Order: sequence, then structure tokens, then C-alpha cells
Amino acid sequence: MTHELRGRDLSLGYGGDDVVSHLDVEVPDGRITMIVGANACGKSTLLRGMARLLRPSGGQVVLDGRSLQDMRSIDVAKLIGLLPQSPVAPDSITVADLVGRGRYPHQGWFRQWRSEDELAVQAALEATGTADLAGRPLAELSGGQRQRVWVAMALAQDTDLLLLDEPTTFLDINHQVELLDLLTDLNRERGTTIVIVLHDLNLACRYADHIIAMRRGVILAEGSPREVIDASVVTAVFGLDCEVILDPLTGAPMVLPRGRHHICGGGWRREPPADPQSVRGCPGLRLG
Amino acid sequence: MSTQTLSPPPQAPPVGTRAADVRRARRRLGLLVTTGLGLLALALLVLTMMVGSYGLTPWEVVASLAHQSQDPATDFIVRGLRLPVAATGLAAGIALGVSGAIFQKLLNNPLASPDFVGVSSGASLAAVASIVLFNASSVAISGSALIGALVSATLVYVLAFRGGLSGYRFILVGIGVSELMLSLVGYIVARAELFEARQAMTWLVGSVGQAGPGQLWALIVALVVLLPVAILLERPLRSLELGDDTARALGTRVELHRLALIAVSVVLIAFATAAVGPVLFVALVAGPLARRLLGPAGGHVLAAGFVGASLLLSSDLIAANAFSSPLPTGLVTGAVGAPYLVWLLVTANRQGLGG
Repeated sequence: MTHELRGRDLSLGYGGDDVVSHLDVEVPDGRITMIVGANACGKSTLLRGMARLLRPSGGQVVLDGRSLQDMRSIDVAKLIGLLPQSPVAPDSITVADLVGRGRYPHQGWFRQWRSEDELAVQAALEATGTADLAGRPLAELSGGQRQRVWVAMALAQDTDLLLLDEPTTFLDINHQVELLDLLTDLNRERGTTIVIVLHDLNLACRYADHIIAMRRGVILAEGSPREVIDASVVTAVFGLDCEVILDPLTGAPMVLPRGRHHICGGGWRREPPADPQSVRGCPGLRLG
Repeated sequence: MSTQTLSPPPQAPPVGTRAADVRRARRRLGLLVTTGLGLLALALLVLTMMVGSYGLTPWEVVASLAHQSQDPATDFIVRGLRLPVAATGLAAGIALGVSGAIFQKLLNNPLASPDFVGVSSGASLAAVASIVLFNASSVAISGSALIGALVSATLVYVLAFRGGLSGYRFILVGIGVSELMLSLVGYIVARAELFEARQAMTWLVGSVGQAGPGQLWALIVALVVLLPVAILLERPLRSLELGDDTARALGTRVELHRLALIAVSVVLIAFATAAVGPVLFVALVAGPLARRLLGPAGGHVLAAGFVGASLLLSSDLIAANAFSSPLPTGLVTGAVGAPYLVWLLVTANRQGLGG
């Protein structure tokens, strides 16, 4: 099932000045899109606008040719799932109960719980590797497990589009990679269109099919990471003086911040040096 | 770490922990506990009608209720004297428990009881004003208490609303409004004649016995209409509990459902307060007690109603019979509830919850 999600001349704000103004943006169907940018650049605001959490102050978000504002909340929720930045849950809630609440848009006032709900919950638990936690209270789990359970709740919602607002915050590097792998699996297996706001530029470059770089509410660059991310773009987006090399493991662009300390001159630009064992300008320093 | 192979779940789920089994076990537990609490409330209802200056057996009470009793004296005691009081206790207790549980879940705070956030104090101010200033009849007192509760709840809602409703703001504004109203109550009582001041103070403590038939029927009608609504609204409530963003993403109409839940809860507490006065702590304690009994099981609202009814009936049983002369119910609930409140504050602060 293909979907077209786009913002047309979209302006978003929280009552005062617009955080995002007159933006035209399209989410590529069936791909993983990452939105990156400095703090307060409007990336989370854009995500919230696309999930209908914010009413646009101008323009519109269009899903399959219809404005989101004209659709019923429940119909939007059957197509677009969203995992907010810091979701909250009651103290004693169990994993199975929380994931089950993802079925809300598929239930009615009286027709409450059916076998297809049961199947969706079980599938979501298994896909996220949390099936054996089903009976445990959420509060007892580790940060990584908890985040996977929240993803499971969003999966149980069974939407073709899934939006996540900084899902890796508070996770250690191992769990960050694990979570992004899991989302990639989902994208590849189910064809779910995924949009992620991510802080870590290097992980964004590695996992994104499509990257959107924002600054002060406008899009500075978008496209595949290899086309888009170079030192001048990173400097423009983050104001960071840096070098961009290609990650030897994946070939994705990788940002090396310059900073003011510990620099030993030279560096790689786009391609690794002929002799990767030695770093130019740093005698005695070897990679390996 | 490769992105092209699928990562299988780390372990196969052990037998018995499948989500379906967990859910079924929770349902069963919820049903069991709620039924048990309902039966407890009914048992206390019958017990309330057995005990008094003239003791009766359960069979005499039940026979008289079923119109099977041959003894007119028993009928008079049960149906004429004790049933109205007991039924008021049951209905007001359910209303208080349901109302408190909804408030606490909605605002995600165990202190968010209607006792504290201005609803009861609005009722008190209106009732005391009508007693002292207008010398009103019992029905008029209840009517003004009802209006006072609704007006003060609306006031708190409007003052706390700022492009949305934050639970924390609602509670703080509620406490402020509540204090304002209680100081006005103090002012009116201080200026009143002795007889009216006594009448006002009695009303302010709250007692199950003070409701007349008009108040009782109004409360029963409110309960019959609103209890099913409250149970239906528990589904969006479970989604609202996950925070506004998640609730919206799940397709909940957040503002509409929250307004409906607050309205149901306020109207229930308003009718209960109009009937029995501002009986303290029942609404505060019922929700957390029910949650403790249920564990992680659902179906919280109805269970909290039954806990509220059991609390109010047993408090009235003690107030009416344990002392040489009957006391107002509110004194007993206050004596039990105040230590609970202290305990709640102490433990809540330790966990950094509950504000």
C-alpha cells in the first residue's frame, strides 16, 4: 500500500511565531527518512505537524491527496503512528497492556477486543523481541527494553507510516544501533515508511535512505546522505567546523567535528587515504 | 549489526507469558476483584440495615426488601427508616469513588481528588451561604450545593486552561480556588447566628443521614445515567493516561474526551456532595485502594466506585453505632482519611511523584 505524505506551504508554531514557515516537504514512500538539525530548528515540530499533533498555522499536510485536518483522528491513526520523544505510562502498567493500547484506533466503543487485535499485539511483541517480557511491569525494564516496548506499541497500531521523535535519546550506543536495526528490519520486511528525528548525525547518515537537514524552520538540504552531507552542509546546518569522510564500514558519510583541541592537522576528505594505516600529519598515530 | 538480515527475537517466549495469556489472566483478575468488591458493598448495605437500636437478621432485611416480610414493624424499620440512609451511602460512595478515580487517572496525580481541587469547596460555599443568608430548606441547600460545585469546577477549568489542560496547573489552580472558597465559608459562618452556624457546620462535616428523598432520587438518577458513560469513557481514559501526544497519535480526541471525563466526574461528585455534604477523603482514597487491589488489572473505575461505597457504608456504620450518640459520617472518614493523606504525601515525595 503506497502512501503520499507531504507538507504544502506548511507553517507550524505554538501560538507565537511560527517555528516552521512555508515549508514544502515530501516523505518518500517506503523509505527511511531522517530529519536532522540543531536544537530548536523545528525538526520535532515538523514531525508533530505531519502526525497531526499540531494544527498548521498555514498551509496543510496532505496524506494521499487529502488534508490531514479534514480527516477524522481515528482514520489518521490507522495510517500514521507516532512515538513521541518522552512517552509516559502509568506506574504499574504491564508490557502486554501497554502494547495492547496501540490497538485503540482499530477498536470501537462497544466492539472492544478481537482476535486480530491479539494477533497484532503478539506480532509486535515478537518483532521487537519483547514477547518474553509480556507479563512484566514496564517500570522494571531497562531503558533499551522499554524503548523497544514503546516501538512495539506503535507497531501494534499497524500503520503504514511510522514517525519517531528522537527514539534513541537516553539509550547507550549498543541499544541505539539495535533500535535502528529493528526499524530498518520493519522498513525492509513490511515496507513501512519511517520518518525519524535523530540527533546523532552519523547514525542518521548510516541508516537513512533520505535525509532532511533543517535550520531555523527551513530545509537546507535533502536527498540521499551521500549526495547531501558534506562539510559545507554540516557547517551550514549545525554551525560546526568539521570534516566529512566516508565510513570505512558502510560507505556512508561520517562527520568528524573539528573542535578546538586534539587536532593534528590534515584529515580525510570524502575518500580514505591510500595508506589507511597512517594518518597524514600525525606521525606515530595509526588507525587499526 | 548487518541491516539486511532480520534480527530474530532473542529468545522464544516461554509458555504462559504470551500476551494473550497475560491479558486473559488480567481480565479474570479484574472481573474477580470487581465482582468481589461489588458483593462487599452489597453485604455492607444489608449490614447497615441490620444494625441499630432494633437489631434484625439478614434474612429479615432481605425479606422485607423483597416485599416478602409479614411483619409491618420490620417493614417500617427496613424500608421506611434504614433503606433511604443505606441507599444514599451506597449511591454517594459509588459516585465519590468513580469521580475520584477518574480525576486521579486523568491528571495523573494521586492528590487530584475533587476534595482538594475546588469542587467540594464550591459546594460548601453555596450550601453554607444558602443556610446562613437565605435560611433555605433542605432541598434548596442541596440545589445550591449542586450549582456551587458545577460553577466552581467550571471556574477552575477556565482558569487552568491555556491552549490545553495541564494536570499540574489544574491542581494548583484548584487548590487556590478551593482556599478562596473555604475562607469565604469561614467568613460567612463567623458572621452567622449560633443556630445557623451549627446547622452550617453539621452540613460541612457531611453525613449520609442528612439526605432527603429528593436528594437521594436525584443522586440515583445521576448515577444511572453517568455510571455507564464513565465506564465507556474508560477506554479513551486509558489512552489519555499515556500523555497527550501518544493519545493523539492513537486517534483519541484529546480535548473532547478530557472535557467529557471531567464533566462526568464533576457532575457525579456534585450530586453526591449535594446529598451527603462534603464527606472527605472517600474520593481520594477509593481510586488508589482499588488500584492496589486490582494490581495491573483493568476495569479500574467501577472497582473504585465499589471501594468508595464500601468505605462510605462502613464509615457510616461506625459513625452511627460505635458511639453513645450518632456522629456525622464525615468525622469517621476524616479520622481514617487524614493519616492516609499524610502517608500518601510522605511516600509520594520519596518517589518524586505527586507534586
